[in-house]
Amino acid sequence: MKLFRILAVCCFILFATAGIQQAQAQVAENTATTVAEPEIEMADTLRQDGKIYVVVVVLLTVLGGMIAYLVTLDRKVTRLEKQMRD
Amino acid sequence: MKKNWWKILAVVLLVFTVVAGMLSEVPRLAILNETIRNLYFHVPMWFGMILILLVSVVYSIKYLRNPTIKNDVIAYEAAKVGILFGVLGIVTGMEWAKFTWGEYWSNDPKQNASAIGLLIYFAYLVLRSSFNEQQQRARISAVYNIFAFAALIPLLFILPRLTDSLHPGNGGNPGFNSYDLDSRLRMVFYPAVLGWTLLGIWIVNVKSRLELIRQRLYETV
Repeated sequence: MKLFRILAVCCFILFATAGIQQAQAQVAENTATTVAEPEIEMADTLRQDGKIYVVVVVLLTVLGGMIAYLVTLDRKVTRLEKQMRD
Repeated sequence: MKKNWWKILAVVLLVFTVVAGMLSEVPRLAILNETIRNLYFHVPMWFGMILILLVSVVYSIKYLRNPTIKNDVIAYEAAKVGILFGVLGIVTGMEWAKFTWGEYWSNDPKQNASAIGLLIYFAYLVLRSSFNEQQQRARISAVYNIFAFAALIPLLFILPRLTDSLHPGNGGNPGFNSYDLDSRLRMVFYPAVLGWTLLGIWIVNVKSRLELIRQRLYETV
């Protein structure tokens, strides 16, 4: 259990630093290429041929992992309930 | 398997929420831009919280009428999951507010009122943990739970509407008025609310069953 916690904290720190670096890089890019746009910008190209599907896949993975965890918990409790009855 | 159809429904609705929530067309609004998609993830946390806390209150009332361990356990577990949803709601709200209102916390009436509401429920957890005797704990926390829910409703739905607020549905916020009626958003929003709420109910279901087994184990040992 302890090992899991340490692992989780390490993963969190790793991803957090990676995220901050990327965000800072993007800020630098954005300031370089700001042009006055009259239209309201939406992620149109992102959804056409860009990488929004990657986000969908990641979200589905997270959701799938959570639900799989809940399903196994549910089954364990059901098994315990059966054992209690006997 | 027949009894578990609603768990499958929860999974289907949540998968639909993520896929349709990211890929469907949404109204083009200034300032909000693509963040309008948070509607499918931030708002259902609050709807889910209210519905799960309602379950908790119903079981608290049931406990006072018929004091069984089962009623007490369900009321407590539902309150805890409701609080989890509320915390997630307030954190996602802060993240969203940072990029649309400019600050994580701008002392908006809606933000302050929901923070007070959550504090009232944190006090429920503290109150509950301060009793050793099971019946006393169950009875007093059931009574407190009813008062907490009665305080939460005006805090979230009435008081913020009496003043100006940045939050849509409270005071004037032209950015959101057009979406309030948008059928494209509703197509994903209602399934999202149902899906997230069912997920919460599922967690309550598993946790209460586990707690009941634990209590029965202590009885027999």
